[in-house]
Amino acid sequence: MEKEKLKIGIYELTGCAGDALLIVDCEEELMNIFKAADIESFLMAKSDNRNGELDVALVEGSVSTEKEKEELLDIRRRSKVVVAIGNCACVGGIQAAFLDKKDWEKNFKKVYGTIAFTHTKPAQSKPIDAYIRVDHYLPGCPIGKEQFLSTFARMVGGNPPELYRFPVCVECKWHENDCLLNKDIPCLGPLTLAGCGSVCPDHNIPCFGCWGPTEEANLTSEYHLLLDKGFDLEMIKKRMANYSGTRIAEFFAQFRKEKR
Amino acid sequence: MKTISIDHLARVEGNGGISATIDGRVVTEVKFTVNEGPRLIERLTVGKTPEEDVSIAPRICAICTLSHKNAVLRAMENALGVKVPAKVTLLRELMHMGEFIESHSLHVFYLALPDYVDFPNAIAMASKFPFEVKIALEMKQFGNHIMKVLSGRYIHGENPVIGGFGKYPSRDELIWIKNRAVQFMPFVFRTVDLFCGLEYPTIPEEETVYACCEPGDGKYGLWGDEIILSTGEKIARDDYKRLTNEFFVPHSFCKRSRYKGNTYSVGALARVNVLGERLEDEAGKMFKKYFNARWKKNPLYHNAAQALEILYAFERIPELADEVLRHPEDPALVPYKSKNGKGTGLVEAPRGLLIHHYEITDGVVANVDIITPTAQNAEEIERYCYIAAQKLLDEGQEDKIRDRMDLVVRAFDPCISCSVHMAEVKKAPAQDWKTKLARLLKANPVFIGVGKEGRSDDRAGLELALEMRKAGVKDVYLETELDEGHILERFSGRPLLFLDIANMGEKPGKIALLPLQHVFWNSVLSHRLLPGLSNKLTYEEVRRSFILAIQPKSVEGGDELSLPVRQAIDQILRETIG
Amino acid sequence: MRILKLQKNCLFPFLEAISKEAELWAPVAKGDKFAFDRVADFSRIAMNATRTIIPAKKIMVPANFNMFHFTEKGYKEDLSHVTDRILFGVHACDIHGLLTLDKIFTQVYPDPYYLEPRKRTMILGLSCWPDEHCFCKSTHTHIVEEGYDLFFTNLESCFLVWIGSSRGDDLIRLVPDLFDENLTEKDIKTYIQWQAERDNAFKTEIQFVRLPDLMELNYRAPFWEELGAACLACGSCTMVCPTCNCYNVMDKQFLGEKPGQRIRHWDSCTLPEYSEVAGGENFREKKFQRLKLWYTHKLQAYVSKYGKPSCVGCGRCLVTCPVQINVKTVAAALEGQEPEAFWKNLAKEATR
Repeated sequence: MEKEKLKIGIYELTGCAGDALLIVDCEEELMNIFKAADIESFLMAKSDNRNGELDVALVEGSVSTEKEKEELLDIRRRSKVVVAIGNCACVGGIQAAFLDKKDWEKNFKKVYGTIAFTHTKPAQSKPIDAYIRVDHYLPGCPIGKEQFLSTFARMVGGNPPELYRFPVCVECKWHENDCLLNKDIPCLGPLTLAGCGSVCPDHNIPCFGCWGPTEEANLTSEYHLLLDKGFDLEMIKKRMANYSGTRIAEFFAQFRKEKR
Repeated sequence: MKTISIDHLARVEGNGGISATIDGRVVTEVKFTVNEGPRLIERLTVGKTPEEDVSIAPRICAICTLSHKNAVLRAMENALGVKVPAKVTLLRELMHMGEFIESHSLHVFYLALPDYVDFPNAIAMASKFPFEVKIALEMKQFGNHIMKVLSGRYIHGENPVIGGFGKYPSRDELIWIKNRAVQFMPFVFRTVDLFCGLEYPTIPEEETVYACCEPGDGKYGLWGDEIILSTGEKIARDDYKRLTNEFFVPHSFCKRSRYKGNTYSVGALARVNVLGERLEDEAGKMFKKYFNARWKKNPLYHNAAQALEILYAFERIPELADEVLRHPEDPALVPYKSKNGKGTGLVEAPRGLLIHHYEITDGVVANVDIITPTAQNAEEIERYCYIAAQKLLDEGQEDKIRDRMDLVVRAFDPCISCSVHMAEVKKAPAQDWKTKLARLLKANPVFIGVGKEGRSDDRAGLELALEMRKAGVKDVYLETELDEGHILERFSGRPLLFLDIANMGEKPGKIALLPLQHVFWNSVLSHRLLPGLSNKLTYEEVRRSFILAIQPKSVEGGDELSLPVRQAIDQILRETIG
Repeated sequence: MRILKLQKNCLFPFLEAISKEAELWAPVAKGDKFAFDRVADFSRIAMNATRTIIPAKKIMVPANFNMFHFTEKGYKEDLSHVTDRILFGVHACDIHGLLTLDKIFTQVYPDPYYLEPRKRTMILGLSCWPDEHCFCKSTHTHIVEEGYDLFFTNLESCFLVWIGSSRGDDLIRLVPDLFDENLTEKDIKTYIQWQAERDNAFKTEIQFVRLPDLMELNYRAPFWEELGAACLACGSCTMVCPTCNCYNVMDKQFLGEKPGQRIRHWDSCTLPEYSEVAGGENFREKKFQRLKLWYTHKLQAYVSKYGKPSCVGCGRCLVTCPVQINVKTVAAALEGQEPEAFWKNLAKEATR
């Protein structure tokens, strides 16, 4: 007997749409994706979208408006499993680099002045787990093709995703790159989740941290190491915050305390 | 007056929609909304090193990631005085071609074509067009491959950096790319024939201004140091604000642009309209074969123009690869020392002119301005959707409005490719004008009666104004009083409410409150308002202002108002005087 | 064992002849470091290479490969990545590294994924000169008695070539005329002198015999937590270590009809996931516990089992760890000294 297909929805909140695009970029596998599961909703790829019960919801993007928050809550209610896909959904993305609400408000005013928006209320960008329970996280900026396909296939087969939990350095060494940190280049590899295939160090370019921090990212050590190498304190903080979203806000709060 | 700093913008694309509100036979509102939240990219790039911004700025959009990369690199290198070797420039162009092939083939085959052959999506379309779907996929894949080889990955590759590349692609890779490009040619010709030969509907058709980069040397190309307009005007790269004049609308986090108060188009159609004569070889032949006057006014020809550009890119790739192979010795990366400077980078993204501007002080970015093509097209999208909706309504084809707006928005290939599935036609609630008028009255408008004596209902606007004035309503003027009282100057910043008749094809006495810009987009509505006003008002003022219109019964001789119009005036008076 | 003489200009012709038999791999420059790579153009071979970034273990067990394809019906082994290879330019320390892996992968639980490539790879050793980070003399791995098919000692005027196996001999027999069987007295003298000079060139020395005891005595020493505080948990030390052999497996599934793959990749005991068990419990939750495990294994536990440390003195951890947690600084800490290292400075900073 044919197994009943999983009902899957793919949703985009605020972000660059890179994760959805990457799924579209799966090209020959795209047909298999549509065959293996019932894709109930995928705005970028199809126009007959439904908003019913789902087995799995893949959510891209950060929550940056009130409307998105409501949409997200609705997705959670309708879905058995919610997977955050991409840096914005997992940790908040580059737009979550404003560390506190005041800072964000100040910058929002600088851009939009006092204009009253009629379509929706803006909100400081947050990862989706600020509002809902998230079952799995698929990191990346954007997510990796292989990792996505294998995760998708595992979920269709009824298995949870199996992802790398270690930092970029491991893959970087698999590829036999010479360590950039040792050449005094500010590489964030040790702090950043692997899965990208250490693509930047492979191209002699330091890791910018775009897959977000690992569970055990040793921010203190890397921070002092970069200070030791003569980098400017503010520059290090900013660099580390670029793709770390709200997750490392606490770390910086601790520095502020120290300063006082 | 409220001042809004326009040096910073948040991003565009991802998620948006278009809606038209219809009241009887009048389209009372068209809104192109971007539902994306604000990301404040131009703020969060401030204070970072140029290298970091080169990484962050392309995250604005995954679909044009390499156009953003090329734009930020051109801007940074202009600002910091970096001169890259010839091989770097050539490979960046090759990378750009990859993005054009990827983006254009995705758009024409997968997003646009299903509409013309009546399928909900490309996957479903594959049942009837298996060959097109399969080869188009390979074509897109080839574009992706080039992007990956040059930039490091499919999306948001970091290999292109200030001064060059982290690493050059191998000779074997380049030769493979070159050979593969040649293999595609038969299908590329088929693509051009397909999309240039499609029967595009004649609604909407209307002249506009097109803008794109001037590549220089009389060549077709995808970047340059000047902007060129279809009017023949040219704008230097650092003066780009003369073109874009950005401003906000309250229904979108994305800024809008107008040139000299008018909407303008950017994108493939703009490039082909402005530079098409310069296309050479097969692309040149195809241009001559298919180009005609309709391309100049019908936005649906964006699809045809994109197909032509696919051919252009496929012809350019082997040339570029050969040229690169002639420069084996160029270093991949040139160092730079400068820590201060100001620079602009102009690039043609697949969907149009993309502008990045940076100021760098003491090694960190002090100021950022990024203007995306979709932001520039937003006003044009609204205008063409309005024209399409009103025209279809006039022709009694209301049921076609939704799909046609879909088609128009999608033709512009906004990065919010997804938004186009969300076209919406709203019925205005009965007495809609009353709610809107009440809202407008709170904003303290200046009333201006428009009309002419001796042509029966044509004097309704004047009559209405005079009666309001009599009833003690403040700031009511007649059109004849505008100039002597310098009314527009005196009240600048306040919304204007024009009282007029308008031929909406409705029953006599029908009242509608319409945005003033509908009048500029649709001369049928008010013959009288057009000539003088458009020069005197800024587009922000136009945006804020409305016309309260009454459908006349007759404008043939006589001083008597018709009964329905008289009743309409009374109704309006009740709403305004309370 | 026979020792032959090979004139310098005969090396390439020899390599030319043997590379028809199997893929020839050798160290080539990678930036200012070196890496084993397949070579067709012999001028790429870095004859004076110091250590490669990754040791020769990558030829036997690639960092990442498929073990087998599986479907609902069964599985099929995949050894498609294994080819016949000749690995030229392997230094003594790396040959000892492979001998250590042999003990782990071939004795108690023979591992077919190691045995097959090991069998099909010929090892052509090459002598080297120590840089400031080499300490293979301290681990007695600067000379080799076994573990190679041929070994080339690179003297100023010629190579002396040791034949270590019949397979090595077969290679010589492909082009016997290139070799000279008759070593002169002068050759022998030159060799002895070269050996003495090399022994004196070592700048790093570690007293390994003392370390097992010191490990035991220092089990609760405070410096372990200092190491843990600085450790970036990047796993690099284990990736570059010639004797580290731990791996993890992951099942990769595909859509459609394509069978699944069991991927085996290098793992590291310094990573948090390594000691995590079902239910989320972790035996070595803290970084310092994991580092201590690593050093216990290298400097103490392996000694009690095999009579020598599982460190071959290649110096890779010295040049790789960004925060200078390595055998040299840890040995110094065990000796009660205060090593000059980032991790030590960070600890001082924290207490300030």
